[in-house]
Amino acid sequence: MSSTSIDVPSTDDVVGLLRAQHGQIRDLFDLVMGSSGPERRESFTHLVRLLAVHETAEEEIVHPVARRKLPGGQGMIDDRLAEEREAKELLAELDGMDPEDPQFLPKLDKLRVAVLSHARAEERYEFDRLGDQFSDAQRKGLAAAVRAAEAAAPTHPHPGTESATKNMLVGPAAAIADRVRDIIRNPDKH
Amino acid sequence: MAFNPLEHRGIPLDDQLRDWSELDVAPIDPDKADPYTRCRIITMNGIEVEAVMFSHHFNRICPDLEVKQQLARVRYIEQQQQKVVNWLLPGQASVLETTIAYEQVAVDLTGWVARMEPDPYLKQAYEFGVLEDFDHLYRYANLYEMIEHRKAEKIVDQLTEITPGRPTYLHHRDPVDNVREPYDRRTAEPISKLHALTIMSAEQQTMNFYMNVGPLYMEPIARQLYQEIGLVEEEHVTHYESLVDPGETWWERLVNHEYNECYLYYSFMQTESDPRVKGIWELHLNMELEHLRLACDLMRRHDGRDPESVLAPALPEPVTFEPNKELVRHLLATQLDLTTLGTGYVREAHERFEKMQNKINAQRDAGERVIDEHREMFGQEYRLETDGPNPVERLREKTA
Repeated sequence: MSSTSIDVPSTDDVVGLLRAQHGQIRDLFDLVMGSSGPERRESFTHLVRLLAVHETAEEEIVHPVARRKLPGGQGMIDDRLAEEREAKELLAELDGMDPEDPQFLPKLDKLRVAVLSHARAEERYEFDRLGDQFSDAQRKGLAAAVRAAEAAAPTHPHPGTESATKNMLVGPAAAIADRVRDIIRNPDKH
Repeated sequence: MAFNPLEHRGIPLDDQLRDWSELDVAPIDPDKADPYTRCRIITMNGIEVEAVMFSHHFNRICPDLEVKQQLARVRYIEQQQQKVVNWLLPGQASVLETTIAYEQVAVDLTGWVARMEPDPYLKQAYEFGVLEDFDHLYRYANLYEMIEHRKAEKIVDQLTEITPGRPTYLHHRDPVDNVREPYDRRTAEPISKLHALTIMSAEQQTMNFYMNVGPLYMEPIARQLYQEIGLVEEEHVTHYESLVDPGETWWERLVNHEYNECYLYYSFMQTESDPRVKGIWELHLNMELEHLRLACDLMRRHDGRDPESVLAPALPEPVTFEPNKELVRHLLATQLDLTTLGTGYVREAHERFEKMQNKINAQRDAGERVIDEHREMFGQEYRLETDGPNPVERLREKTA
């Protein structure tokens, strides 16, 4: 009854899906902080990949519409992108670090607060105001594209397969971002 | 070690004003703070809001310029205290997360008070109310998972269970039946007066909060649920405020308010787990001791009575946030069917109750529909039953 599920329920609405991913990301931070050893490494990898899929999807789908259509959209999206850059810098610092390093958790904590603040700002100033900017069909199609992108960039890696490579995070994260961008831009090819 | 606030000197009023940097407190962590630290913050905010509004009402009926000026000075400091206390809440928390924390306060604060209250009639009033707030927690927790895709146990931890209580649709009574009898100010225990003020203030803040944040939601089910539970809070405020003896003079009421603030800051200073927040409770206690001294002087001067004649000789046991699972389960098993009739309680749905029910619940209420919709979305309800299934057979989840 009280188990933590980090599986996102299926939703046919792209904004609902992105919102659900915010909850999932927040729970993953809890999971990383509450575990140790290979389990921590595994959930951290999961977190990094989900962040990559999620941020890319937002950059490709939601931000451009918000920038064009919402009053003040230009400045607002600049603010969100600045926050994303800050988060990516924090993520780069964590890259290659041993999760058992005493500096790992304090740095991860900084990232957690930055990501959570960023997500709330998106929900309040962007998602809540997008309203009828997307048609139902668009919401559905875009949700399918984000899910396809997520599936193509597995967010549940098998434990151990990558733990041997050190610098594993940002490299694959960048590749994931490219992949996601490609799927969203050319949904018919996939 | 008994603490008598009348025997301690606080910070002189002239030294209590804080500048902007001192008001700019760092908020608690949205995910890692002790849930009961958040509960203490929400409680003290409700207490300070009541202090401020009580003082405004006093100002409106008080013809004495000097008294009005002193009330204004103290009230300004109370406003600063409210700002510091409520601004401990983090901006990253959503309205719904804060709402769930409000309901956790309602369950575990009222639960404590129900256990400690010596007067049986007053105790019954708290036991009656706690089963309703407990049910609100369950409804909001289901809404939370639907909207934010997160489980409410992330907020309440394992401290408070989440499972149906007295179903929300049954909370809508004829307003006449929400008025209770007051305690007698001459014979009531001092602790009873403090309890009534505390729970009244907490419920009043909850009512105000829902009144204002409900329409910020876009999801129809969220708007409707806040509207429904907001109306139950109106009933609860009526229920609890009518416990307070209206025969108390304004001076006596002022003294009781200030004394209660001392009691709660003292309690939370004793029980706080976050050292930084504890420092704030301690500072505010030292401010309140002075507010109490000033109120006592007013009472002696204008009421011709000694405040000692209405106050306890020492503070009662500290109000403590702790799990009330056993109490709530016991009440579920024994008091679920209660409703009110006049100023008392009955088990049968009487005519006036049914009339109100038929009218307001002409269509299925949001409290029921939020559970329907959650089931549709997730295949089951959200519950957090740490100590076994709901003690009431018919409140157990129907499995498909």
